[in-house]
Amino acid sequence: MSKLKLGAPVPDFEIDTYDAVAGDFGKVSLADLKSEGKWTILFFYPADFTFV
Amino acid sequence: MGAEVITVSTDTQFVHLAWQQNEGELANVKYPMGADPTGKLSRTYGVYDKNTGLALRGTFIINPEGTLMNSEVNFYNMGRNIDELMRKFKANLYLSKKADEGCPSKWKDEGDKTLAPSAKMVGKVHEALNE
Repeated sequence: MSKLKLGAPVPDFEIDTYDAVAGDFGKVSLADLKSEGKWTILFFYPADFTFV
Repeated sequence: MGAEVITVSTDTQFVHLAWQQNEGELANVKYPMGADPTGKLSRTYGVYDKNTGLALRGTFIINPEGTLMNSEVNFYNMGRNIDELMRKFKANLYLSKKADEGCPSKWKDEGDKTLAPSAKMVGKVHEALNE
């Protein structure tokens, strides 16, 4: 299981993305979102081409 | 909504593109679709299933300081309720400004009844909620 704890910091991450609005590939970085003062919601799901 | 939502599966960004362009339900997707083909991020969040190589239905709310404020993980065959996710996010946002208050289970949005724990309330939560 996860070693993350509620109320504790999570490690920064950077992940490749497909951005449908831009119609292009990109990257999202937690460090960037934090520096922009944004809340982040990570929404994991098992697989594309299935229900989410 | 006031938060950056990132959807993540262990598919690549190329498969995300193919899915988004084929599936009518995804025509209006506004969120970046994150690719985690190595499962690294899924492992960090404890949702990686090594038997299948897939991620369970985990939802995590992180505040602007990078602190984990909320987590929920559903098994494969149980969908999530977006209204409940919105409720949790709004409550976290509200409590980040009003740390001495508490949002009870029926709290939905700013203006709804909150509770401020005190000695007076011990054994009197019903009265406090209904006053």
